[in-house]
Amino acid sequence: MRTPWQEHAYHAVLWLVALVFFAPIAWIILSSFKTADQILATPPVLLFRPTLDNYVQLFARDSFLHQLFNSLFLSVSAVLIAVAVSFLAAFSFSRFKPAGTDFLMFLLLSIRMLPGSAAILPVYLMYVGFGWKDTYAGMILFYAMFSIPFSVWILKGFIDGVSPRFDETGRVNGASWLRIITRTILPQVMPGVIAALIFNFIFVWNEFLFNYIIGGLQTSNVPVALSTGLYSSGGVDWTFISALTTVYLVPPVLVVYVFQRYLLVGMTFGTVRGEV
Amino acid sequence: MTIQPPNGAGMNRRTLLTGAAAVTAAAGLTFPRHVFSQTEKGHPLAGKSIRMAILGIAGWLPSKLGVDMSPDFAKYAKARYGYDVSFSFADAPFGQLFQKAATSLATRSAEYNIIISDSQWLGALATPKWIVPLNDIIAKNKELDVEWYAPVVRQAYQTFPDGTANRYGFPQEGDTFALFIRKDLLDAPGEAEAFKARYNMEMPKTWEDFEQLSIEDYTKLAEFFTRPDKGYHGAAMQYSREYDFISCPLLSFMRSQGGDVWDPKTGQVQGIIDSDSNTRAMTQYKAMLKHQPPGAINYGIAEVIDVFTQGKAFSAWQWAAVGKAMIPASMQGKVMVVPPPGFKQADGTLKRDYIIGGQPWVLNAFNDDAHARVALDFMKWWYLPETQMEFAKRGGNPCDKATLSTAGFDELQPWYRTYKYMLPRSSDFWHDAKYSEMLAVQQEAFTAYATGQINDPAHALAYVACKQQDILFDSGTASKQPSGACSGIRL
Amino acid sequence: MPALSPAGGVARFLGRRTVLPGLLLVPVLAFFIVWNTIPTLWLLGLSFYRFSLTSGRAPIYAGLLNFQNILNDSGVWLDLSRTLLFVVSGVGIQTVLGMLLGLLFWNSQRLPGRRVALTMLFAPMVLTPVASGTFWRLIYDPTFGVLNAMLRGVGFSGANFLGDSSTAFAAVLVVDVWMWTPFMVLMTLAALASVPKAELEAAEIDQLTWMQRLRLVLLHHGKYILMLGILLRTIDSFKTMDLIYNMTFGGPGTTTQLVAITLYRRAFEAFNMGWSSALAVILLLISIAFTATFIFVLHWREKAEA
Repeated sequence: MRTPWQEHAYHAVLWLVALVFFAPIAWIILSSFKTADQILATPPVLLFRPTLDNYVQLFARDSFLHQLFNSLFLSVSAVLIAVAVSFLAAFSFSRFKPAGTDFLMFLLLSIRMLPGSAAILPVYLMYVGFGWKDTYAGMILFYAMFSIPFSVWILKGFIDGVSPRFDETGRVNGASWLRIITRTILPQVMPGVIAALIFNFIFVWNEFLFNYIIGGLQTSNVPVALSTGLYSSGGVDWTFISALTTVYLVPPVLVVYVFQRYLLVGMTFGTVRGEV
Repeated sequence: MTIQPPNGAGMNRRTLLTGAAAVTAAAGLTFPRHVFSQTEKGHPLAGKSIRMAILGIAGWLPSKLGVDMSPDFAKYAKARYGYDVSFSFADAPFGQLFQKAATSLATRSAEYNIIISDSQWLGALATPKWIVPLNDIIAKNKELDVEWYAPVVRQAYQTFPDGTANRYGFPQEGDTFALFIRKDLLDAPGEAEAFKARYNMEMPKTWEDFEQLSIEDYTKLAEFFTRPDKGYHGAAMQYSREYDFISCPLLSFMRSQGGDVWDPKTGQVQGIIDSDSNTRAMTQYKAMLKHQPPGAINYGIAEVIDVFTQGKAFSAWQWAAVGKAMIPASMQGKVMVVPPPGFKQADGTLKRDYIIGGQPWVLNAFNDDAHARVALDFMKWWYLPETQMEFAKRGGNPCDKATLSTAGFDELQPWYRTYKYMLPRSSDFWHDAKYSEMLAVQQEAFTAYATGQINDPAHALAYVACKQQDILFDSGTASKQPSGACSGIRL
Repeated sequence: MPALSPAGGVARFLGRRTVLPGLLLVPVLAFFIVWNTIPTLWLLGLSFYRFSLTSGRAPIYAGLLNFQNILNDSGVWLDLSRTLLFVVSGVGIQTVLGMLLGLLFWNSQRLPGRRVALTMLFAPMVLTPVASGTFWRLIYDPTFGVLNAMLRGVGFSGANFLGDSSTAFAAVLVVDVWMWTPFMVLMTLAALASVPKAELEAAEIDQLTWMQRLRLVLLHHGKYILMLGILLRTIDSFKTMDLIYNMTFGGPGTTTQLVAITLYRRAFEAFNMGWSSALAVILLLISIAFTATFIFVLHWREKAEA
């Protein structure tokens, strides 16, 4: 056994590691309470009178609330659609193993493996052709599409783990498939559903490139606002960047905190289970 | 002054009076009365309500001014034409704006009704017919045939293809390079003597002195004021790979010494951009890094503003457009704006042929009739002498002859004398549909050399020449194929 | 394949096993066809054409010209090899560092505030890459950056990390390592969790050294999980774009230009759609190869565990 001192030292080291990784983010958060001159001051200012001006100005921007709404609306609706669609598909793949299951699962995954600029290129050309650019439906359905592979993979793994005997019992008792799926299977794979929901949410929430290319005035989200709002008339607008980043960071970090036990499942397409 | 109820729309007397009062109040600020005395009757949009979207450059004051002043247009339009107009704005930094405009226009979308385009984009926007050709419009609306301060205004902001009479843009903001100098450091006691002792020449002090300053002598000045121990360096210039940031000053070095970038008539690049004098300009421009803060290799427009306003640079090469940002309250009275240095020619004279900045307005070709009409009304309003003067007062850079020739114009802003001086001494580079591909190659090669990724300036230029020649040959602009030496060339 | 199209009489078929599987797949297939099959065919088709969005001309059939151009374009090959170097060194460092830190966090169950500490550790992964990329620019800045201020504080002269072509690649790599090492920590913890309890206790009793634990316990039992982690990281790393684009735009010169950035620039800055489509097709083939490897490892694990 370790002595209490060793234990303390060990814990101190662990905290140090966590803090080192968090330091750059802490610096962003700290900067968001500084004035522009303080952010650029050399040597860096550590003690200062915090100001909330950056936040006041951020929320006073007429477009910011709209973009924040877009971020939320796009990510939530895309993810809900994707998970619903994927759940049905995963159930089918898992239970009936229709011919071509492996091939379809493979294709679905390779979409996710493609670099974003390659994935968006044909979609952009298609949207140009169909006039879908900068429409909410166009954005949401595309994000849903991009979230499906991941969700199918996760959910199939979880449904595989639910014994088919549950279905059979249900069938014998005269329950419809719909009832079996929603009442019997769904509750048992909730962890998978949650993992799929939150990880797709984080993905769409943070997504920049697709929104930038196929979004527009109406549908642009916060990462796009960040990338295009870097400059104020007085140079790089660090106060805006730091305040916006801090605000935007809150939901995903909360998710990591609250749903820590789903992190592993979520980040490995459901191929690895367990808790950290 | 009288205001006609728009098309007999059901407006009661009371609203009319309130409206008139508001307009008068606004007019008192911006417009002389005669503007309102000629209310047009029967405007097709009278009584309607229109929403316009403008796409502009983020962090770019003149662009923002166009936007800030648009409520004035709304009042003007209401009073004169009888319709309501409101504006929404989108913006993107230079490096992303073309993408934003092009990805939208390619869908034949009227998402942005009016776009502030950079001058080099005219070809890329006009070739696919995304923007409205203006020859007919200007012929029908004489007030849009403005007399400019210098021929370059029309060449750079309106014309495509080069050398034709075809116009596609309405100058929004004129812009040139300017040299921002820390006057307080320059005038500090003892400096002039120390400078004279070290270089055996008088230290330049006045605007006129700087007009006579050659690049060699400027380099001395930059060297003299490089004092890392005091936290500042002699110069700040742009070397960033983003957009055209390193190209503009570097091409200015080239042009001012007799070099060029291409032959617009034949599309020939090889044998022009890779000349010996351009190679020397590359070395020269890189050598300037010695007198700049350590991060200069990353500097774009915004970074130069940051270092200069934070007191880290004695002088800065910057666009006149951001003059306001370069001289914030903390720098008031400490800054002098002068022409950037000239380059000695064989005959001993000084020459300045700098790259021009500035942007035209362009009109979306997919606007419906109502939006097209409002866009046109907006342009007419934009070139009213009152609007242009208001633009100047707020720190934008007009480029019509009338405004620039107004008595007292030079004193309106600290950089106006320099801006006016530099405008006829500036020129643009390619207006070609392939500009962005050409620019990417060039930015890559220039920064590769400036940062030391490759060490041979001649090779960097040979690479640019080969790649650009290839791009232009491929698109049919250049008649000649890249030479054999180009096969397999790489940075 | 059993009836994929629910041709009429939906309700009647609902109870039949032959139709239900297909019916359940209809939404996913609809998505798949509209947002994947059609665009991919579009992409494939366009890769055989000369087409520039800004030329104002219709696409011209050009056979394999685009592919030939890419094969002869040394720039693209350099970008691809740079990407490879980025992936190999990035994922390599993340794996080693992640395993070490994972082992370190192994016995952390009694750490006060463990959940907060882990959240802080994992936060870099969930920060918008646009934001991290942008803000690292400021952290690295030689004049205003906190990193250089710290270096100067301890007597170093400081450096222009992102501006100097000799350090830019490494500087970008460091940010990637910062962002993704936590992921390998996570995987290592998962791998450790898969080790049977008895063996852990045995290792504890036998007082095995760290190296021994690493080799005998972690690598032996957790190798599949780690391998999946490495693969997922490899794939993601291959896709890296937002982060670097917002830090350096691929510069200085081309020192940080990864192939995803090259494609982005050619497609959405230069609008050379034919050429870009061809490159995208090549990247698609590479991704398919990655996917195949991933699935191969999955099956391998299943067999090994069976």
